[in-house]
Amino acid sequence: MAFIPSRRKQHKTGSGIVRMQLTSMMDMFTILLVFLLKTYSTHGQLINPSQDLTLPVSDVQNPPEVGLDVTVSNDWILVNGKPVEKTSNLAMINGYIVPSLQAALQRYAEEGRKLEAAYGTKFSGKVTIQGDKKLPYRLLIKVLATCGQSNFPNMRLVVYQKEG
Amino acid sequence: MAYRPSKRARRSFEIEPPNIAPMMNLMVVLIPLLLTSAEFVRLGVIELNLPPAATGPDGTMLNQMPIESQKKLDLTVTVTDRGFFISSSMAVLSGSAEGGPTIPLVNGAYDYRALSLKLYEIKQRAVSQFSDANHIILMAEPNVDYQTIVSTMDASRALRLPGRIESLFPDVSLSAGVF
Repeated sequence: MAFIPSRRKQHKTGSGIVRMQLTSMMDMFTILLVFLLKTYSTHGQLINPSQDLTLPVSDVQNPPEVGLDVTVSNDWILVNGKPVEKTSNLAMINGYIVPSLQAALQRYAEEGRKLEAAYGTKFSGKVTIQGDKKLPYRLLIKVLATCGQSNFPNMRLVVYQKEG
Repeated sequence: MAYRPSKRARRSFEIEPPNIAPMMNLMVVLIPLLLTSAEFVRLGVIELNLPPAATGPDGTMLNQMPIESQKKLDLTVTVTDRGFFISSSMAVLSGSAEGGPTIPLVNGAYDYRALSLKLYEIKQRAVSQFSDANHIILMAEPNVDYQTIVSTMDASRALRLPGRIESLFPDVSLSAGVF
């Protein structure tokens, strides 16, 4: 025997429309939005960290600057993304000057000087150096010395900023 | 006969939830936009300014440079596999062990805090006496890695004390040193 539908319960049912509860989602989104606005940087990424190296960590506060990009990765030394010398060859060079790197740097310096003469954009001799954190000092100093001797005396070592 | 209580008088008003759909639309657009431009790893740079090359590669012009009349400290920190040596143009600061480094390794790790504190001590005494009391030279053994160099630079640049940051020797230069 079927039950007779309860008369009392019939009155209790609402309009039948179920509304989604979006309030908690809104809370979440608001927090996310505030966080993202806080980390938002107006100048974007001036330096693209290379993929095959891990930069060292430091607590400097200086923001990155634009300059010629010299990367010392595990395999290659790159100037503005173009490979110029194998990193493994670096150890075999006597003295502090790396000839191939110097040639590449001087080419860029020359271009910079030409631009300065033609358009008045000042050649600053800035170079940003990205090196793996495991890079031994004897190789690092060769790269630095070569930069210094190739019209790029203003060196910037790129590092990750420590949190907090 | 009493009247039946009015149904209208007792009707409760249902609160209509605010329409947040437009707000949601805004969020859905804004959040991906900000996510794409967010920087999660903050990069920084350490400045390392050399004077433009004054000497030839073989150092021929060194002799013609003006002789500095002021007293120079020439504070040098040398990173070795045994620890830090602190030296100046006059003397090497000796550590507790005879002939050992000024700041030895602690459990196989470099003691940057002790280096900072030691340099702070030197800074306070040097600041009135020497003209180059902001300048420090960093030397390292060939096999010292880049991270150690950077951390040593951090330690010699500033000392973090509770509540304040004491500037030590912000003018760091690297030396090719003794190979």
